[in-house]
Amino acid sequence: MGNFGQLMDGFVVALTMHHVMIMVIGVLLGLVVGVLPGLGAPNGVSLLLPLTFTMDPIAAIILLTSMYWGALFGGSTTSILFNIPGEPSSVATTFDGHPMAKQGEAVRALTLAFGSAGFGAMVGVVVITLLSGWVANFALQFGSPEYFAVYFMAFASFIGMAGGSPFKTLVCIMLGLAVGTVGMDTISGEGRLTFGITQLTNGISFLIVVIGLFGIGELLLTIDEGYKFDGVKAKLSLRVILRTLAELPRYWVTLLRSALIGCWMGITPGGPTAASFMSYALGKRFSRRGKYFGKGEPEGIVAPETADHSAGSCALLPMLALGVPGSATAAVMMGGLMIWGLSPGPMLFTTRPDFVWGLIASMYLGNVIAVVLVLATVPIFAWILRAPFTVVGPLIAIVCLIGAYTVSNHVFDIWVALGFGLVGYVFKKLEYPLAPFVLAVVLGDKAEDAFRQSMLSSGGSLSVFFEGSLVATMMGIGILLLSLPLITALFGALFRRGREEGQTHSS
Amino acid sequence: MQITSLRKGVLTASALAIGLTAANAAMAEWKPNRPVELVVSAGPGGGSDIFTRVVQAALTKNDLVETPLIVVNKPGGSGSEAFNYAEDNVGSPYKVYFGTQDAYVLPLGTKVNYAMKDLTPVASMVFDVFILWANPKASGINTAQEFVAKAKENPGKVRVAGAKAKDADETVVTLVERAAGIDLAYIPYKSGSEAAIQVAGGHIEANTNNPSESLEQWKAGNQKPLCVFTSARLTDKTVVADGMSWADIPTCVESGIDVKDFVQPRTVWMAADVPPEALAYYTDLMKKAMDTPEFKDYTTRNVQITKFMTGDELKTFLAEQIKNYEKIYADNNWLLPASQ
Amino acid sequence: MEISRKTMEVATAVLTGSVGALICYGSTENGIGWGPGGPEPGYFPFGIGCLILLGSLATLAQTFWKYAGARPEAAHGVSGAVPEEPFINGTRLRLLVAFVLPIVAMTAISAWLGLYIGMGLYIFYTMRVSAGFRTLTSLATALLVIAVNFVVFEKLFMVPLLKGPILEYFGIY
Repeated sequence: MGNFGQLMDGFVVALTMHHVMIMVIGVLLGLVVGVLPGLGAPNGVSLLLPLTFTMDPIAAIILLTSMYWGALFGGSTTSILFNIPGEPSSVATTFDGHPMAKQGEAVRALTLAFGSAGFGAMVGVVVITLLSGWVANFALQFGSPEYFAVYFMAFASFIGMAGGSPFKTLVCIMLGLAVGTVGMDTISGEGRLTFGITQLTNGISFLIVVIGLFGIGELLLTIDEGYKFDGVKAKLSLRVILRTLAELPRYWVTLLRSALIGCWMGITPGGPTAASFMSYALGKRFSRRGKYFGKGEPEGIVAPETADHSAGSCALLPMLALGVPGSATAAVMMGGLMIWGLSPGPMLFTTRPDFVWGLIASMYLGNVIAVVLVLATVPIFAWILRAPFTVVGPLIAIVCLIGAYTVSNHVFDIWVALGFGLVGYVFKKLEYPLAPFVLAVVLGDKAEDAFRQSMLSSGGSLSVFFEGSLVATMMGIGILLLSLPLITALFGALFRRGREEGQTHSS
Repeated sequence: MQITSLRKGVLTASALAIGLTAANAAMAEWKPNRPVELVVSAGPGGGSDIFTRVVQAALTKNDLVETPLIVVNKPGGSGSEAFNYAEDNVGSPYKVYFGTQDAYVLPLGTKVNYAMKDLTPVASMVFDVFILWANPKASGINTAQEFVAKAKENPGKVRVAGAKAKDADETVVTLVERAAGIDLAYIPYKSGSEAAIQVAGGHIEANTNNPSESLEQWKAGNQKPLCVFTSARLTDKTVVADGMSWADIPTCVESGIDVKDFVQPRTVWMAADVPPEALAYYTDLMKKAMDTPEFKDYTTRNVQITKFMTGDELKTFLAEQIKNYEKIYADNNWLLPASQ
Repeated sequence: MEISRKTMEVATAVLTGSVGALICYGSTENGIGWGPGGPEPGYFPFGIGCLILLGSLATLAQTFWKYAGARPEAAHGVSGAVPEEPFINGTRLRLLVAFVLPIVAMTAISAWLGLYIGMGLYIFYTMRVSAGFRTLTSLATALLVIAVNFVVFEKLFMVPLLKGPILEYFGIY
């Protein structure tokens, strides 16, 4: 009840005309930033930071978080329309979002994404409101073995999901891991797989990989398929939007499952990107319409979007309570907090309740504003799709290349992105699965760090992963998820044989 | 022959004089006419990043600059990406680089594509101190003496967390090992705050950290300062937690760990061959930034030692630092093989 | 020119395989053993490289198996209906190359003259040559794209893109 009272106080703080205006501005800026893949939320927030120096901390954090919500929504837009994930966490949205857009259902896809994202964010904020005291202590229980277990679970849920040749899946996962390895090694401080190339010492940014594999790769595929881009068919009417929103409750199982996964990954160190992937994978496995995933299935949009946004909201909690940012954007915001004179940590909740609860209250409002505003932009994007591909194609190419450049201002990165574009095109045509590749890039080096840190602290004993109830449970779930395809196959075979035997007996 | 050379000498001298006055005039006038990039050798949220953004805030808030300042993070290759960028932008007066000792320590132990000659030192503004922390509840360690005793009982088993490998934290841990004659297990994390959380959660016994990164956990009772790596105690007497102030933390030398002064300078650099008037401008600007209330807040909050060094003083300091680090690196066997 | 799917499968597998081998080689510089404090820096990369190599070899074998199995049937078949699908046919390949080459050219020009000039030339080219718009329309579009990007990146979000010597010369930054 205490939390609820404080939340009401928070609403009093957040609900001023001034703050609502700031939210609108923040969300709008965020949308622009999220749509352009090179800018992205972390960049945008860091660019806005100087503006906040003259503001009071509450207004400042509201501006930054609203921008963050806006950017998260904007990122999904380009994922669906052009297969360019504006944000790392919206990669999974491309899997079904873009096929839907290509089939002429762009408006429906966008509405589905925004609606479920709004739902996910709300669940995240409610979780924060109810559990704020408990989460900080829970997050403290995560040592390196637990970190590793979280990553392992995310991986395990994904492997075995990809159909097709297991060898190609293996090659893809391993290539992804290798890409993540390039650069400076945290544990030893040595450069790895750099082959003496300076630019490789900096590592290969995930964004560049994604811009290449998905953005440029998809452009090439579109040409290969003879410019087939049925955006034109996108029906542009308010009715479609409203009908789609009404359709959402039908996916309540997926919505709930994804929101739970999102909150879990947001509180634990998994983060929004891993959350969206894991939710997509589990959706594909457990949903009745799982076999349609990847071909433009509505649930394939709902699952990652819900998880992404609930994780994004929940990730702010460890930042406030522990001073450990759950994402790159949270890291920038945390820097902001320190500059405004606040220190994130367990005491922030008692020393500045007005700040913390004002922020939480603003998250409720900010997300509602973001959903409304972003739905209002749908017609604009639908309009862009009507332009012929000979015009849109080059524009998308430019957006991709600038995006690759702005990641760290290296022309070298543009070449890398082009290289990954070719890889993406060839792999997709030859049915090498790209999703495990990307997931491996995101989680690979984190998982390796956590593994080696665990080894260092246990003196090289693997048993640390099974001592302690938390880590053992998570590893157990991970192993279960990993062996699930095997188990179901086995059970399926047994069941079938059983039935056949039954039939022979009865006859 | 002699006459010509003499005349030549006079000519050069007068040309030099003209050049100097011109330079002086320009020095008074020069200021950037386009956005200036503040390049950070670390990712967002870390110590260097906050230092840079505080400078940015101090300068913009007090109208000390007319052009926008843009913070650019270049954390790649342990920060070498930032200084490599300086090598790519020789002579650019619109880029200022912010780092720590990393600027001159990185080339000692890692293959990097820049050398010290690619950088022009501008200033060293403050020193971050290092403190040895432990989790009193989980590890039962309350003092530096208990820490050493525990490490002697369990050689190689007491774990100390820190940020990155072969960086400041690991360096100070090796100094402690040598001074106290103990063997510790150093575990590198991505950032100092991540390391602090591991200690606060009781997964690791101890860590070394800047005061600010563990302050909140100290207040919450999850971490306790054991000793500080400075020759004299800190001066801040405001009580933080457990009735202790920063000034109540014993120095490590007092506690029997003979590591005198291990501090982290916050340094500012420019590329090689920048116009002297630009260098003068930024040196002056950094000095001005230090006098702003924002910057003073920052140094108090982070319990830093303020000492502005520039020019020859800075050069002497850097030369000394590099020599010290070379010795430590040689002792730890971290130096790059000479074949490189 | 037509590229068959088999050719492409083989080429890709050979390529990934060599990447795997390269990774194995590169990781040996970091130590690939399992030390007292857990795995050495090169331990995982080495394993990764080996698995890539393995996976690629398996894919290669699979490909040959598949097409070897298909061929005799085709030989015995009625009208030589070889079940070998093309990866890409000649027309599409030409289209693809026509799309990719200007992008590569633009990147090369951008590296030299800056991104703004690169993107301007590229848009002009695609509008004029690929899409067949009039010269004036193409030129206007190119300038518009430059202007929009300039305002968004340089002014609105203060992200400096690569300018190159020409813009520097005119004092645009």
